[in-house]
Amino acid sequence: MQKRVTFVEQLEMENVLTKGRGHVSTRSMDPERGGLESLPRHLGRETHVDMSPSNQRMKTSHIPQTLMSVPFLQHPALATGRRRHLCSIANVYSTEHMRQQMKRHYLNVLHTYIQSSVYTSHLKAFGKAVHALSRVGDELWLDPKVKGLALRSVNSAHSAYACFLFSPLFFKNYNLRPATEHGAETVKCKLAMKCVLPLFRCLNSIERNVEQCQISVGSPDDQVMIQFFCRHGITKTHNLRFQESEALQAVFASHLCPNVLKAPARLFGDVVMHFPSSQEEVTLSMTPLRVGLKNYCDAVNDHMKTMYTEMSLHPDEFDYFHVGVDSNITFCLKELRGLLSFAESHCLPVSVYCGAAGKPVCFSVEDMVLEATVVLATLYDPESKDPSQSAAMTLTDATQRCAEAAVLPVGSCEANIGEPEDIPAVTEMIASSQGSPMNVPPALMLPLLHTAGVCVPEDHCSSANSSPASSTICSLLFRAVSLEQDNHDSTARPPVLAFYSDEEENMEEDTDSPSL
Amino acid sequence: MDGFSGVITTISKLTKMCVLRLTSDNLFFVLSEKVANGGVSMWCELSQANFFDEYQMEGVSTEDNEICLEVTPENLSRALKTVQNAKAVKLKLTKKHCPCLTIAAELPTLSSISRVVTHDVPVDVIPRRLWHEFKEPNMPDFDVSIYLPPLKTMKNVVDRMKNLSNFLVLEANLNGEMNLKIETDLVSVTTHFKDLGNPPWGEDASQDGGPSQSRDPQAMAQARVDIRKLQQFLMGQQVNPSKAMCNIVHERVVHLILLHEDMSLQYFIPAVA
Repeated sequence: MQKRVTFVEQLEMENVLTKGRGHVSTRSMDPERGGLESLPRHLGRETHVDMSPSNQRMKTSHIPQTLMSVPFLQHPALATGRRRHLCSIANVYSTEHMRQQMKRHYLNVLHTYIQSSVYTSHLKAFGKAVHALSRVGDELWLDPKVKGLALRSVNSAHSAYACFLFSPLFFKNYNLRPATEHGAETVKCKLAMKCVLPLFRCLNSIERNVEQCQISVGSPDDQVMIQFFCRHGITKTHNLRFQESEALQAVFASHLCPNVLKAPARLFGDVVMHFPSSQEEVTLSMTPLRVGLKNYCDAVNDHMKTMYTEMSLHPDEFDYFHVGVDSNITFCLKELRGLLSFAESHCLPVSVYCGAAGKPVCFSVEDMVLEATVVLATLYDPESKDPSQSAAMTLTDATQRCAEAAVLPVGSCEANIGEPEDIPAVTEMIASSQGSPMNVPPALMLPLLHTAGVCVPEDHCSSANSSPASSTICSLLFRAVSLEQDNHDSTARPPVLAFYSDEEENMEEDTDSPSL
Repeated sequence: MDGFSGVITTISKLTKMCVLRLTSDNLFFVLSEKVANGGVSMWCELSQANFFDEYQMEGVSTEDNEICLEVTPENLSRALKTVQNAKAVKLKLTKKHCPCLTIAAELPTLSSISRVVTHDVPVDVIPRRLWHEFKEPNMPDFDVSIYLPPLKTMKNVVDRMKNLSNFLVLEANLNGEMNLKIETDLVSVTTHFKDLGNPPWGEDASQDGGPSQSRDPQAMAQARVDIRKLQQFLMGQQVNPSKAMCNIVHERVVHLILLHEDMSLQYFIPAVA
């Protein structure tokens, strides 16, 4: 209805003219004139409420007496018209009106929330995970499994490994097709990071525009299809060719690590901020009294030009602090920053599992629906008198040879299958992340099959020690191809094919719905 | 601390290495005119009382109560940026594996014990015999002195001009007019600034009394400089100075002076033919 403020004096004049009434009527009359929204109220002594039938059509709202009796409304100089004007303003704030507004707002918000739902933020988390992995390596392994989708990456020198495991609950729909006739052929999908990263590069625009994302992995075509269903009916489809490759996984017995620290991601962020982003390696030293971090300068760099930074933290700053063994470990910071920024954006605490120098260090973050791990090789310090260092075993070069070499210890340990063994340091020579060969082997992690305890055959070690490290580059972690055929362990690799069909983040099977 | 950090950041944008001279009252960042620097030289003066609560310094000897260090301002700037919200910051000259400027800061943490961070920035001590190279430069006998237009505007103009040419002619007159000109085979672009005002050096500046006073206010003094050097100077300025002036010695040198509340910066760009 039209609303027009008409002062009652004006009306009175009109009334006097038209109807010749003596006293002031408090209702604005005359719907044809589009009068005020009338307010039935008891205005007070001098006015007279006129309930003529024509008024009933007007929207009325009730102003409580308490409000009406406030002193400023009783001021004698306040003309009736102005008082009415004030009351009309008060109408806007009437409780019914407010209640209606609130209800409408609530419904809007609920509607928006249901539409977008928590999965949009999950998509952002997925994108952030891709970012973090891109800081580690150039290739992304997509590994769909029963227990979730694993995204993994390893750096070229194989001294850093990162894994993000998203449980099926993370996705709106996550369907794995059960194993097909061809047997235990997992989809081993390796994508180039520079193909995947641009899709998730701008997370803010993804958050604003993308309503759903669907990821399908299909082996007939060797393609991964990533579809973004965006606003305004736009669908972006990206088909990425993947390479078949051997699976990538590292096993790290974190429960066997003597030193465990846990702290909110903010703490790590603050600490790491002090080191320039070009700083490659840092040394983390731990004693039961304090934790220190300083940058590590190897002899190659010019001592004179580099800045040294050192800082120490008190155990109280950590949520969980357990140092079993005093240690100084040196690792590369660059690959870790991705995980730290991921953890900070989700406000998750970061746990650090480490041992003596030479043993790998693991940083992990977990949530109810996801789990992220970064494992970094550490520098082995030959001068340290740490008795827990086992003898180094040199493995030489590329995967094939690694495979052969790795087969040996497994083979000799066949008899030990079933015995839980302390994972020894199967140390290997590896190149440092900068690519320069390191003279000392960092300790490492191991073949995947944790049920087959890996033992280090003594004779092999002693022969290996003699060869100098500098020429060898070796793989840190992984389980070589040949091992796959040896042992089929249901926990290590489920003999299912992972085909996913999914809605929010989906893997759809290509054979059923051939892409495009 | 923020002010000091800001000064160091500005210096770090101007040059990779410079000399820090410490006296009992002042700090000077000096870049002397060398071929390696492309002929530019810089002199930045800070009064220690404006920045430090406590200042203790002992020079080489009582007559030469100074310390001269060669330092990379970028390292210093990085170190200071990370300790911006520290409870207390101390700068010390120490000798570790080499002489270092150590920045020790205490950072507030959630627990009761504060975190201690130390950054060691390696420096080189300059021996006394070379101190003469880092003396305060004399004010050149300039032909024109003029206030600069807002640095941001100037920077925008110079940034665009840099795409077109390598050399820029800066000219100004005593009437408050300044032009920035570039000329290539295809195009010539000039930006005119008017009503800039001329600093009243007046009586004391014109030592011999003659040329400045009798100079025609419309006559332009100009100098052709490498545009990248000018751009580098303008890029480093983050805060608007209280006063910004430019002295031009015709065809010789452009002398830029920035005066902030707590520091002054002079920058000399030689003219090229």
